[in-house]
Amino acid sequence: MTNLIRAELYKLSRNKTFWVLITSLTGFSALLHLLIILDWWQLSGTEFDKAQLSDLNALSTFTIPLFFNIIVSTLAGFYISTEFSQSGVIKNQMMSGNKRANIFMAKYLVFSLGAFIVTILIPLITAFILIIFFGQGDTLSPTNLMYLARAYGLFTLQFLSFTGIVLLIAIVTEDSGKTILFPLLLSIVMFAIEKLITVPFIKMMYENTIFYQFSEAFKYTLTSGEMIKSIFIGVISLIIIIFLGIFMVNRKEIK
Amino acid sequence: MSEYILKTNKLSKKYKHEFALENINVTIKQGDIYGFIGQNGAGKSTMLRLIIGLTFPTSGSIELFGNDNRNELTGVQKRMGAIIENPALFLNMTARENLEVHRLQKGIPGKECVDKTLELVGLKDTGKKKAKNFSLGMKQRLGLAIALLSDPEFIILDEPTNGLDPMGIVELRELIKKLNREKGLTVLISSHILSELHQLATKFGIIHKGKLLEELTSKELDEKCRQHLRIKVDDPTRGAIVLEQILFTTDFEVMQDGVIKLYSHIDDVRKVSQTLTNNGLVIEHLSQNGDSLESYFSKLVGGVEHD
Repeated sequence: MTNLIRAELYKLSRNKTFWVLITSLTGFSALLHLLIILDWWQLSGTEFDKAQLSDLNALSTFTIPLFFNIIVSTLAGFYISTEFSQSGVIKNQMMSGNKRANIFMAKYLVFSLGAFIVTILIPLITAFILIIFFGQGDTLSPTNLMYLARAYGLFTLQFLSFTGIVLLIAIVTEDSGKTILFPLLLSIVMFAIEKLITVPFIKMMYENTIFYQFSEAFKYTLTSGEMIKSIFIGVISLIIIIFLGIFMVNRKEIK
Repeated sequence: MSEYILKTNKLSKKYKHEFALENINVTIKQGDIYGFIGQNGAGKSTMLRLIIGLTFPTSGSIELFGNDNRNELTGVQKRMGAIIENPALFLNMTARENLEVHRLQKGIPGKECVDKTLELVGLKDTGKKKAKNFSLGMKQRLGLAIALLSDPEFIILDEPTNGLDPMGIVELRELIKKLNREKGLTVLISSHILSELHQLATKFGIIHKGKLLEELTSKELDEKCRQHLRIKVDDPTRGAIVLEQILFTTDFEVMQDGVIKLYSHIDDVRKVSQTLTNNGLVIEHLSQNGDSLESYFSKLVGGVEHD
């Protein structure tokens, strides 16, 4: 397993798309934060506002499923799917003498790490650097840091299930375009359910998915019960997705 | 421990309602160079994919290095290398980086094996050139390097000469022979180029429409393909004496059905016929036989025979 993770890290570090995403998102995130810190762009009504963290309002952009979905699925499309389609290198990996479950887990862990870096870590780091650079360091008080740790902890937990879903789509479709398109469609459907559907049963179902929990994670006030529920949904979703992934990979016939 | 590196037992693969492979029994011993012969769509690649675990059999079993447990088969794959169809490469990486990924994947300690393997296949000086800019032959050689990286005991090559120039084909053949001779590497190789396989393989499996038609050693194949006169006379024993004493040849065989296979005097049919008749023998049949590998293969699969 360690060998596989090292191999995946080696591939990720040489993946052009990964570096393009890092560079562009660093620039984009820095620009958004800069605009907000300098009051050139007013963004209000976010959860960060309610937590007295208005300087971090730009972070809310990166927590919208429709937005981070594009980043994650682009990475999956050009890091995972291409191995199955274009180059067919997955064949070499499957016959490397490693168990398919381990191959899936190594891919999942490294892909999730890559997605975490470009979607969560970069916006946070650029935000902290700019806040400190512009003399707003007092924003990062222990209370606010606690809030951010709790919010991002919960968000990351749901995010790990989301990367699992995208990975599954990448493995099933074996096509970069479809890998980008299908998660996007999924997010649009979830968005539509959240905003348009009023059927109580569907609403209830939706509220118990990771998609609803993405926004719940950033609520300034969250009861212990809500927090436990969020953790529970994240963990259960993660377990189901990983088992499903291993099951599928074990049965997959490589072309 | 089993004497066989690979043994399949009634191996079948069905796609929807059609058998891609049906009841295949193949045996490969340690040190064999096994040539897998078949037309396009005969089932060669399916067979190779089943062996390396890319796809799963509908029925039957595969025994590799004496193991037929599916869970253990994954482990023994570490002792194998393979190129299936096209060489699978990371096109945005250099040759060295491609090998490094596979070194890490297989958990091979030390980076020396990368340079050693690149030198072996003649790609040591490719430097920073990405695999996408390689010629087809170079890609094929890089694929071979990946297969050879872990110093395998058994290597599977599916059409490895695709894209290679004549010199490349000779080099590949010599490399395989060398590895087989020096390291006892067992090779399973499929190819359309039958003459190429004929020079390389020590054993052949002929597959057609998903069925293994024949499995034979190169010696047996040579025997079958050797040019000879097929003679049937009323008294085979006397016929043999006449050949020995009048035509002064011992290069013949008397088969169990009384047919004499004469390997000399191929171009002198009239003399043979006259000698036998002059010595009171009745010739019931006399014909010139023997095939090239291509025509033998064509005959076997029921195709058009080319003289």
